[in-house]
Amino acid sequence: MRAVGARVEKVDGIGHVTGQTTFVDDWRIPGMLWAKVLRSPHDHAAITKLDVAPALAVPGVRAVITHEDVPKNVLGHLEGLGVPADEPLLAESDVRWKGQPIAVVAADSEEAALAGVAAIGVSFEERPALLDVRLAFEADAPKAHHWGNWFPHFGGPDTPPDHRKIRKGDIDAAFEQADAIVQGVYRPNAIEQMPVEPQVCACVPESNGRLTIHSCTQGVYFTMGIVAGHLGVPLNRLKFIAGTVGGGFGGKVESWTEPVVALLALKTGKPVKLRFTREEEFLCTSTRAPWHIEIADAVTSDGWILGRKMLTLHDAGAYARFSPYGVTKHSFHIAGSYAIPNIHFDGYVVFTNRTPTSAMRGFGVTSVSWTIETQMSRIASVLGLDPYEVRLRNASRIGDTTPNWVTLHDPSSVPVIQAAAEAAGVELTADYRTMTRDPRSGDLLPEWLEGQLGDLDAKES
Amino acid sequence: MKLNVNGVEHALESGALTPLLHVLREELGVTSPKAGCQSGGCGACTVLVDGEPRRSCLTPLGAVDGAEVTTIEGIGDAHDLHPVQEAFHTLHAAQCGFCTPGMIVATVALLKRLPQPGRREIERALSGHICRCTGYVKIVEAVEAAAGGSR
Repeated sequence: MRAVGARVEKVDGIGHVTGQTTFVDDWRIPGMLWAKVLRSPHDHAAITKLDVAPALAVPGVRAVITHEDVPKNVLGHLEGLGVPADEPLLAESDVRWKGQPIAVVAADSEEAALAGVAAIGVSFEERPALLDVRLAFEADAPKAHHWGNWFPHFGGPDTPPDHRKIRKGDIDAAFEQADAIVQGVYRPNAIEQMPVEPQVCACVPESNGRLTIHSCTQGVYFTMGIVAGHLGVPLNRLKFIAGTVGGGFGGKVESWTEPVVALLALKTGKPVKLRFTREEEFLCTSTRAPWHIEIADAVTSDGWILGRKMLTLHDAGAYARFSPYGVTKHSFHIAGSYAIPNIHFDGYVVFTNRTPTSAMRGFGVTSVSWTIETQMSRIASVLGLDPYEVRLRNASRIGDTTPNWVTLHDPSSVPVIQAAAEAAGVELTADYRTMTRDPRSGDLLPEWLEGQLGDLDAKES
Repeated sequence: MKLNVNGVEHALESGALTPLLHVLREELGVTSPKAGCQSGGCGACTVLVDGEPRRSCLTPLGAVDGAEVTTIEGIGDAHDLHPVQEAFHTLHAAQCGFCTPGMIVATVALLKRLPQPGRREIERALSGHICRCTGYVKIVEAVEAAAGGSR
């Protein structure tokens, strides 16, 4: 614990301030080829023709890869967590989002690679696109995914397989006892992680048959596994040089450039580099997901939340990626920092013809945290109460349980809200200023809530 | 065409329309200016051209023929840190480090022009430099410290 509170010298700091840190793009590799990507210009289309021969005739072009060159084209990134494989490394018979990669060209220069991409003969038959999660459940909605318009593989013995579902307490009783119902619809939108270093990867085929891969991945062993899986080679064929990341924020969990340059290096026998443009970063790499969240809270006139009904539609874009994991995390956090005794929640991972979404800084949780704090203020506003006091009244206490029945032994909601009030210069009334996180008692606990707000004996355990 | 880069004269093969960033990185192997956006939006490619900060990705070689170019390699090295580099290091103004060379050369130019800048001048001088890690607070503090140290 010597580092806590101390100013510790940054191990790579001198390299950073002298410009000598070697990022992936900075490796000087003799004879290196540049790779460029042919991408879908349509949100949704069948690929009716794909002819790479004209690209191979472009001066300087050394190789082109399509799905036919990938030993295992469809590989699940979260199969270990029960999310089956659904996404091809390179598109096969159809494209499901504008920007989906179809073929990759390696050439002596960036210009030649771009000329090669432009020369590929490709044609499409456009299909209707689903771009709004709210339309996904309509009978005549365009079909965005071969599994249907929402993820059907949550599984588990007690939950239906096609969404995350929580039923806690008696939601109907809560709504019957309510003095008011406070509703809200919240739509936090997509956010690009936008590290200043774009996705970039270089692969050097070694004379001993191994591949040296310079990668800016955020998860070295995760990405190694994905490369080995797509290539069908054991891990000991791969040597990763990684760990120097020019910002990631979740976006560099995406492991697409690595298998692609590895395949091109194997095909050409030469080092290959692929560096995304900023335009590709924005349009073609995973973002934080857009969410559609509907809430109805049953509240008393003095500010107790008796019950919450909530529907979440998580826009996964065209493929599953990490979205099922994001919605699972989301479902644990639907009450935020508050104890809500009765809960009715349904959360769907919806497929659309948008860029697939994925990790970004607490994804799944940030969307619901923002939503719930906005909803708390709305409750206070509707009831004409102080927003800090509504929060403190409902704040989780020792022994309360989360929506997924985890007992809280060390909740910090009360002191954090009090500190926020103090920092904002808000004067709380004595009851709330002196409130502790100990289990509720006295005037702050309506009789009918006893037994619903966690185990009051938990303090002693 | 010719460039003086960090005190060394170079005769160049690149064409007049080649971005200075590419000349530096690909022809001369000077990799501290970064290809962050290659469209003038992020500031990671910033170098000094005759002492003035310029986005090398948007600067064609032909426009700077014969100029003196300074990258961070010409500012100071690990054995002889410039006060700005020292401040960025000790005050943790560099996190991932990708935007740092551009930030530092722009700061060196600022302090040469305005040795005691106020917070507004610092923010204005660095406003074209995107950092996604630090939230800028530590960067501004480092610039203030470097200015204070050079008093």
